[in-house]
Amino acid sequence: MERRGLEYVVLNQGNAQLTELYRSQIGDWPKFFKMDTLSKAGFVATELLLKKLGERRCGSEEFIQSRAIVLFGSTASLCADRNYQETIQNKDDYYPSPALFVYTLPNIVTGEIAIRNHWRGESSFYVLVAPDAAQMAFHLACAFQDSVTESILAGWVDSRNNDDFQVFMTLIRKEDAADTDWLAGQLQLIINDLNK
Amino acid sequence: MARVIRCIAENVVSPLGTTARSNYDNVRAGKSGLARYESMGNITTPFVLSRVDRQVIDSLCAELGILGNYTFFEKFLLCSSAQAVRDAGIDASSDRVLFIVSTTKGNVSLLGQPEEGIADERVLLAKAAAQVTRYYGNPNKPIVVCNACISGVCAQIEAMRALRSGRYDYAVVIGADEQSPFIISGFLSFKAISDEPCRPFDKERKGLNLGECAATVVLEASDKKKRGWELVCGAIRNDANHISGPSRTGEGSYLCLMEVLKECNRQELAFVNVHGTATAYNDEMESIALFRAGLIDVPVTGLKCYYGHTMGAAGIMESILSMYAACDNTVLATRGYREQGTTYPVNVSSGNRECKGSEFIKLLSGFGGSNAALLYRFEE
Amino acid sequence: MEELILKLKQEIIEVLNLEDIKPEDIDNDAPLFGEGLGLDSIDALELIVLMEKNYGIKLQDPAKGKEIFKSINVMADYIQKNRTR
Repeated sequence: MERRGLEYVVLNQGNAQLTELYRSQIGDWPKFFKMDTLSKAGFVATELLLKKLGERRCGSEEFIQSRAIVLFGSTASLCADRNYQETIQNKDDYYPSPALFVYTLPNIVTGEIAIRNHWRGESSFYVLVAPDAAQMAFHLACAFQDSVTESILAGWVDSRNNDDFQVFMTLIRKEDAADTDWLAGQLQLIINDLNK
Repeated sequence: MARVIRCIAENVVSPLGTTARSNYDNVRAGKSGLARYESMGNITTPFVLSRVDRQVIDSLCAELGILGNYTFFEKFLLCSSAQAVRDAGIDASSDRVLFIVSTTKGNVSLLGQPEEGIADERVLLAKAAAQVTRYYGNPNKPIVVCNACISGVCAQIEAMRALRSGRYDYAVVIGADEQSPFIISGFLSFKAISDEPCRPFDKERKGLNLGECAATVVLEASDKKKRGWELVCGAIRNDANHISGPSRTGEGSYLCLMEVLKECNRQELAFVNVHGTATAYNDEMESIALFRAGLIDVPVTGLKCYYGHTMGAAGIMESILSMYAACDNTVLATRGYREQGTTYPVNVSSGNRECKGSEFIKLLSGFGGSNAALLYRFEE
Repeated sequence: MEELILKLKQEIIEVLNLEDIKPEDIDNDAPLFGEGLGLDSIDALELIVLMEKNYGIKLQDPAKGKEIFKSINVMADYIQKNRTR
């Protein structure tokens, strides 16, 4: 039987697109405006994906523990790092910003998504040299070794500077990851789309 | 049967020594790497830090034949892993060996202070990790676990899974972080840093200290049990509560503990090595999680009072010291602790204590609502 | 005082990225934290930075912020009495 391909969302059109999508499609999460670019992009892509999948936000305790978030990127929090560095670079203008510092950890985006959706499963951020479908598929399949994880919000979130990012989000169910080669093939299709 | 994952070599490089053994002996003797600094770079607020002497790292690298043009962070990764790889006696250039790096900020100091001969791109964590795989001639693509303060436990969990998958036979898990003004100023802006040696779980605790450490475990997968420390299981769970504040109910840590307790033989549980940062919120949260998991009477120990918070290295170094302590039937003292300072009375002591049992739990939590726990067991 | 209150509201909106809130939406006597503006612990720390950067007031103890950030009126009053710039 032919297996259905993974549903996914790709965003790579800059910050104006994110704000526009937030206002037109989401609108009820003002914390969005406090996020750094990486978190904004990851957050909006996740919201759009869940809409596409028609998934209801609330779920049973069992469900919220079984949903993991596993994200990959190459620049990690570099963009936030640069923004924070500016607040400490000069002696005469040395005012380290806690609101910028907190985003200098790339896994904050996983936390933002977990908070929004009340997901209490595993959350992880891995840094790779570049988006590599086989490498990502392997580590995603490994994540299903956890005894309660049934599905994973998986994605590539990368932000070179405040207005240049590449993000995809997809949802992987346990049965999807059993065939790692199939999963890698699916991720490759998404990566091709990301680079368009 | 799932493959058995066992630690076959380990190393710790810190102000307390350049081997795991010397670190353990110094901690057991009550020595600490913490020292007070009045300023650093543009920082003018005093803080306490455990900092590695750069000359010690340079001579260690020279001794080990690590001669390339590396940053301090890369040397730190290499001088710890080189000793562990040597002791493990494995061929690190084999594609059956997976390298996993655990760090929070890697070469971030390059942003404020570029170094001659070091390409700007080395600030990217995977590019720094690629220096490590290249050094060993390892053909696998580098992977960095970057999950804030829990990275070191997550990296061991990831290694365990990768080994169980059958694709690899060995995993070299290396954790390190350099304490530059970047990290220190950030934690100062969070008003989270104490200007005195930290006092985990104490009523008068004033916050955390930061520290530098590089630590490595070499894990081996085999089809049958052998004598040594077995990594039994681990779990990572999110609080889904707040990006910087820990959950008031200890949700994520509680879920992690419950998950590893599934495999734990409670009679054999020697102690729980906790995060114990000595911030008001972390220690309170851990006391709640331990209570909820039914572990409030189990001896608890924290190592931040010797090393400060060593970020990417913490989960690995603290696991290694726990192995040495459990083999020595010792619950290491939590220095600075005097009086109960959490809602639930955690079983913590300011002196070394005797213990029995072949298992321990390592618990960590961090920004992003992240929590993680591991269970290690000594197989006779 | 009126001028300081307006300036302070504008500064708070800017540093805390309160995108859809205008100065007139913030009640001078309403609590800044808790319900209303939806501010959290990181926002409180950021307000401490604002006090230092714009008014030269150093707050070492974050617990003290709790009293000062009670409302815009309390905050403005504290700034007027303690500002060094």
